[in-house]
Amino acid sequence: MNLRLLCSTVRLQMKQSFSRPMFRFTLIAGPVLNTILLYEMFLSSGEENFFSYVVLGAGLMGIWGCICFSSAGDINRERYMGTLALIFAAPAPFRKTILGKIIGNTLLSLLTFLVSLLTAVILFGVKVRIAEPSHFLVAFAVTIVSFISISSVIACVLTLSRKTELYMNLLELPIALLCGFVFPLELLPPFIRVISYALSPTWAVRLLRRSVEGGTEPSLFFRELLITLVLSAVYALLSLLLYRLIEKHVRIRATLDVA
Amino acid sequence: MEAVIEAKDLRREYVTRRGVLRRTKRVVKAVDGISFHVERGEIFGLLGQNGAGKTTTIKMLTTLLAPTSGVCRVLGRNTFGEEKQIRSRINFIFGGEFGVYRRLSARDNLRYFAHLYLLEPEVFEPRIGQLLEMVSLADRADDLAETYSKGMIQRLQIARGLINDPEILFMDEPTVGLDPVGARMLRDIIRRLKEDGRTVLLTTHYLPEAEELCDRMVIVNAGKIVAGGTPAEIRGSHESLEEAYLSLVGAGEAATPA
Repeated sequence: MNLRLLCSTVRLQMKQSFSRPMFRFTLIAGPVLNTILLYEMFLSSGEENFFSYVVLGAGLMGIWGCICFSSAGDINRERYMGTLALIFAAPAPFRKTILGKIIGNTLLSLLTFLVSLLTAVILFGVKVRIAEPSHFLVAFAVTIVSFISISSVIACVLTLSRKTELYMNLLELPIALLCGFVFPLELLPPFIRVISYALSPTWAVRLLRRSVEGGTEPSLFFRELLITLVLSAVYALLSLLLYRLIEKHVRIRATLDVA
Repeated sequence: MEAVIEAKDLRREYVTRRGVLRRTKRVVKAVDGISFHVERGEIFGLLGQNGAGKTTTIKMLTTLLAPTSGVCRVLGRNTFGEEKQIRSRINFIFGGEFGVYRRLSARDNLRYFAHLYLLEPEVFEPRIGQLLEMVSLADRADDLAETYSKGMIQRLQIARGLINDPEILFMDEPTVGLDPVGARMLRDIIRRLKEDGRTVLLTTHYLPEAEELCDRMVIVNAGKIVAGGTPAEIRGSHESLEEAYLSLVGAGEAATPA
């Protein structure tokens, strides 16, 4: 892995994304609004842990929104800017360049948690209590990995099509619902839950919630940690295979630019 | 002389599908069996109307597009299948205002592309300075590209296209939309590239420019080559290259707006 290329791409992506008003809205205004909305829902939800329900829920929705509108949307933006063809034809492997962009966006979108937390503390005077801080740190790191891995697969597939914006909008809410960012998975029909269990963020969200709420058997936490990591590894492997196929396919289907 | 670009019976078809229930398939032959070669150190022109197949040909040569059939080789390697051996040794510039990150400065754009070409900082930092001087952007190097004029963006594209010191530079209508001063600067840069021993393949609509710069050229019409040779050979008995061009592609067709 060319670390200099990766760092350079991460830096470029952060600069590019943050300069876009839509991204700033998703990064800052989105979590504020979601936190307020979830707070109102929390009051009549019967849930007990405010941090788990409101702060994590709004933060996760925010991070996923940022990923959808940047990691996925950037493929299309680069296509229309004429830079997708340039990065594709450069000697640096395309998949590594895209990975750098996804990491940049994901790291930047972690700010949504902070915005959500600050909103909760400032507006509602909430005291933050994390039952298992060490588990939370592990869960947070694994959450980042799981989002990067699923974004990588999505970005890869979207390279194939020029209808990226349509798919990007289609993806935002279903994934938030399927992975249980806000609503418990138990509310979904059992046959839908099968899809949820195949998505690595579902397990990452569980880890976050368990570490915040506490009272979970360590063996259960580590079992779910293992599931998250295995699923993320499967996605990483899948995206590696897909990129190999797609690097040929985009040149056959001519989807690198709009000319 | 060594042929560094080789196209033999090269074809590229685009397939489009329409309809939902009764899908219909339409095949467009963008490039229809063209053959030519370019020798090292030459400036070679690809001339033709809009939609003649010039850009598709350049995209196949720059590893961006797979040929449907035929031979497409650059520096002795197939552009589809052996692209890894080609990409670090070539570069390309497409005309217009595309191909730069507008929310980055010229210097940051060049730095990023230097990373994409896997160059070391001790190589690319002094080169970036030289390139910015060459395209007269040194005094605006740290301003965002979105504040640049069209001509400045095209000059930045030229600098970007030279960041890896390519053996072959592909230019697709590089002077389109440039003012006369900008176009003159570009022509001077192209001549300097030739003096340095580099190969340039360019497409253009502007016939005096092609005549001034190109050692050899081909005229493409509806995906096929209709003439090839030195500008003098193509001009033949006609008064100008433009007249020869119009007689080859058909005056009526040439007058059709893009």
